[in-house]
Amino acid sequence: MSAPEDTGPDVTRDDPMIAAEWALGLLEGEELLAARGKYATDPAFAWRKEWWDDWFAPLSDAIPGAEPGDHVWDGIAARVSAAQAVAGTPAGEPVAGSNVVALEARVRLWQRVAGLSSIAAAALLAWVALTPSQSPVAPQPAQIAAVAPMVATVPIGETGLRLDVTYIPESERMVVAAIGLTPDGVHDHELWLVPADGTPLQSLGVVKPGEVRSMTLPAAAVAKLGDGASLVLTREPIGGKPKGKDAGPVVAKGAFSRV
Amino acid sequence: MAARPRPSSDEAREALRDAMARLAAGDQAALEEIYRATRVKLFGICLRILGDRKEAEDALQDVYVNLWQRADRYDPTRASPIAWLAAFARNRAIDRLRTGKVRGGAVPVEEAAPLPDESPLADMLLVDAEQTAQIHKCLGALDARTQGHIRAAFFEGYTYAQLAEAADVPLGTMKSWIRRGLQRLRACLEASEAA
Repeated sequence: MSAPEDTGPDVTRDDPMIAAEWALGLLEGEELLAARGKYATDPAFAWRKEWWDDWFAPLSDAIPGAEPGDHVWDGIAARVSAAQAVAGTPAGEPVAGSNVVALEARVRLWQRVAGLSSIAAAALLAWVALTPSQSPVAPQPAQIAAVAPMVATVPIGETGLRLDVTYIPESERMVVAAIGLTPDGVHDHELWLVPADGTPLQSLGVVKPGEVRSMTLPAAAVAKLGDGASLVLTREPIGGKPKGKDAGPVVAKGAFSRV
Repeated sequence: MAARPRPSSDEAREALRDAMARLAAGDQAALEEIYRATRVKLFGICLRILGDRKEAEDALQDVYVNLWQRADRYDPTRASPIAWLAAFARNRAIDRLRTGKVRGGAVPVEEAAPLPDESPLADMLLVDAEQTAQIHKCLGALDARTQGHIRAAFFEGYTYAQLAEAADVPLGTMKSWIRRGLQRLRACLEASEAA
């Protein structure tokens, strides 16, 4: 007799399943980054991830406790103070109470809007740095706080499907997650950057349905990827917009927000 | 850190909830209180996932610095503060495992530092008993093999690839097993919520 999990159709890997996989810690690489991006922008996904976290949490009662070294708290206190000093006051000035409050409010806003912790940004940067052909310079912790990720959600009509685009300024890398999409065999979808300054659209390439892809952005695109930049998705023949022809119909659009 | 009289479980939980609320309101002193009360449990989790004392201590620092930055994300209506912190710590440790060069895996017993006698609020650190019973019951309803793989993912921080290799089955097979298991687990947990 076979076990129940041996039989039956394969489970659909929808968002709630990805949330479960993430909560269990199974996601890696670009899927992990895509899940973080989705967590920041999709309340239903975030809710499900936390639902799983809550349920799994009691399992950790089985893990024996351990005492960290005394230096750990010193390090925490130093990092908290340093973060306040760097972000909250001009150099050389004592940290005033109002500045601390302002900083904390700012940090919280940053977190609430994004749901992306500085750890997530650090992870993305670290991952970018470890990817072959990328800059060999590892990110320094001090830089991380200064680099706020930009995220865009591109809902596809009324389908409930969407692209999730995450960009970390200065990394020149963008992660595009098109997990819910399936190829129809006759069309491709091309992603375009719409600069805020009214200059022409720039192609960011053809989206791969069902995949999470990391791409290196051309310098021209990086230059236009600021506040107010948006994205459109057009339907094109297989392979993307043919040279010399107009782009196909716009099927979806979304805007970047800096978080 | 000064030893304090050990409060009862309920008092400790309320004290932690209160400290979390004060931290969210900008009271930095609350961070040290939270650290004092939870470091042993959270360090145990980091150590278990990362398998390296130095890495686990770095992860623990990240946990509390991040907590300071985002204490307002804790919703007291959703989970007990310690459950939320435990998940938070484990997530940070897994992040580190997935993006760094840490080998990971279980910690040999001798590597885990002995606990001091007044281990901080040890009785508080248990998550809600009813919820604990339910997750164990629902996990226990899975076939033993699937249950084992899901537990290994949780406790050892294994990826699909590592689980497949350990079980000597194709990656796709392992993914199917675990996804079916997670689907059944979800159904069981949701049924318990509806009851």
